[in-house]
Amino acid sequence: MRRYSRELSVAGAFALLLAVLAVFAPGFYQPQPLLSLATREAPTLVVACGMALVMISRQIDISVGSQFSVCGVCAGLLAAMHWPLAALLPAAVGLGALLGAVNGLLIAGLGLPSIVVTLAMMVTLRQGLNLVRQGKFVDLPENFQWFGLPQATGQWLLVGGALVCVLGLAAALRHLAAGRFVYAIGSDAEAARLAGLRPRLGTFGALVGLGALTGLAAVMNVVQSPQVQPLAGSGLELKVIAAAVVGGVAISGGRGNLWGVLAGVLLLATISPALTHLRVEAHWERAIQGAIVILAILADGAHRRWGKR
Amino acid sequence: MKPASRDWPALLLRHEMLLLYVLIAEWLFFYFAGTTVNRRGVIIGFGTLDRQFDILRHSCEIGLLALALTPVILTSGIDLSVGSILGFCAIFLGLLWRDCGLPLPLASACTLAIGVAAGGLNAALIAALRLPPLIVTLGTYSLFRGLAEAITRGAITYTDFPAGFLFLGQERWLGLPAQAWIFALVAIGVWLLVHRTTFGRSFRVIGYSPEGARFAGLPVDRRLALVYLLAGGVAALAAIIYTARLGQAKADAGLGYELFAITAVVLGGTSIFGGTGTVHGTLLGVAAIAVLKNGLACLPVVMRLNAAEELAGLLTGALLLLALAAGVLPRILPVRRIFRRPADATPPPPTPP
Repeated sequence: MRRYSRELSVAGAFALLLAVLAVFAPGFYQPQPLLSLATREAPTLVVACGMALVMISRQIDISVGSQFSVCGVCAGLLAAMHWPLAALLPAAVGLGALLGAVNGLLIAGLGLPSIVVTLAMMVTLRQGLNLVRQGKFVDLPENFQWFGLPQATGQWLLVGGALVCVLGLAAALRHLAAGRFVYAIGSDAEAARLAGLRPRLGTFGALVGLGALTGLAAVMNVVQSPQVQPLAGSGLELKVIAAAVVGGVAISGGRGNLWGVLAGVLLLATISPALTHLRVEAHWERAIQGAIVILAILADGAHRRWGKR
Repeated sequence: MKPASRDWPALLLRHEMLLLYVLIAEWLFFYFAGTTVNRRGVIIGFGTLDRQFDILRHSCEIGLLALALTPVILTSGIDLSVGSILGFCAIFLGLLWRDCGLPLPLASACTLAIGVAAGGLNAALIAALRLPPLIVTLGTYSLFRGLAEAITRGAITYTDFPAGFLFLGQERWLGLPAQAWIFALVAIGVWLLVHRTTFGRSFRVIGYSPEGARFAGLPVDRRLALVYLLAGGVAALAAIIYTARLGQAKADAGLGYELFAITAVVLGGTSIFGGTGTVHGTLLGVAAIAVLKNGLACLPVVMRLNAAEELAGLLTGALLLLALAAGVLPRILPVRRIFRRPADATPPPPTPP
């Protein structure tokens, strides 16, 4: 119980928000809008899991938003060329992994700081996409939306897929040697090296994994609408980092788990519709997200400084 | 960090000098490729004096942010929130002036105070609670931009500033754009602080080794707090100049400026790991980016594509990656060693003869 106190407190905050909504805005609880909300946030959840992986290994990647846009547009272009989904999905995931590998080479290979590398990557990819596409939308073929299934089935499929993704990754992080490896290099890279692990390879792997998950998430986003927006990923990096930090993943590495990330994504995703239902102006969303991130790290910092006896 | 003797070849090959050569080459390239004569025989494009003043004007805000970031990065910190503080302060200036009816000088002074207070939030979290600067300023990056959006409800634009205020951003004083004088003043101030005071030298000591600095008796937390306060104040000053130049304040003021500022600092030879770097290097970095941004807009090819903004962003990002890689490549080549096993890292035992 104590071990999961951080995750439980986030879950508690989420439950509190749900309770407030139940009392003051019961209109929030309607199955169809809730399912739509969950579907919209499913890609965010997948990227947030990858981000948690990278943050646990003590790196960060703020280029995921641009990677998401690039993968989405490329997937859309392939779909417009009538590629089947079975070929399109691996292609998008592979492209994401490739972009992650570029980051990984610069960060793990050259030992450059991840924040600056990915900052440069974010702008390079985003502006490169703007330059090539000039902000044009990609029109998708008729039967591509929701995989050609009825809408509700497609939505359940996406939400289920995201949850399976979280479950699988959480189990892998907890029980597989590779998962423990990520924690080991995050909490002390030098000790991990002396124990015979290869920290740089681990960092590289985490970044590639994040890229692949971002590619997957981009496809999950593309199938939701009849067009691909080139700016779909802008701001995504902050959203997923915020979700991970709120969920108890330490930016200094080695701590956190995906259950916390799941709770963090749910909490942050509920804020925007909650604001509408509680009649607060939607323009406060970003400020409130920032404040929640600061509160979360404040709690971590206070806990570290004064909580340990 | 002067060279011990006047060793001219070494002096000519230092990072700042190399950057200066690049800057000159870049300027000459745009001068010859970006200057054209229109049908009435008037010179237009990059080679005109007006364009040069434009470059100076545009570089002032990013230059101020880069100057503020130099001490921050010297202490091996980072401040991603400067662009957001700029936007927040610009909105606040408009709010105080138009909605609260304060006279502009007083409103500007209050804006500076707000900027310092915004930096103070960073400082309190980073220095007092010892939280990592990266995530703290990522949080305040959202927070301040979000506050600016909340105040304006995403729609209000403050305009119709009086001519006396716009003079600061649009007119010339003593031959140069008015804001260039402020920029020069701040640049000299920061240069003196970093290079000529023991106070400023402690930034590098902290960046090089915070533990060592603490053991040497330096008040590390107070110095760190000061660096972030300074960044907030300078960002507010940049906000005032930005508003005066454009004659309007919107919630998206200074969006993405932090990238250009960080690029200028790193390009100028300041190590992102902290500990080494110079203010004049940062100034050269700012100039290189400003010339690139404006020069690209003058090239006929780019004008036809109407993609100056995108291309400038793309090249800046690539430039930053190159500058970073150039800093470490000599140390780690050959590349073969990158993914070696830890067991290989230990030298083989000496073979008996």
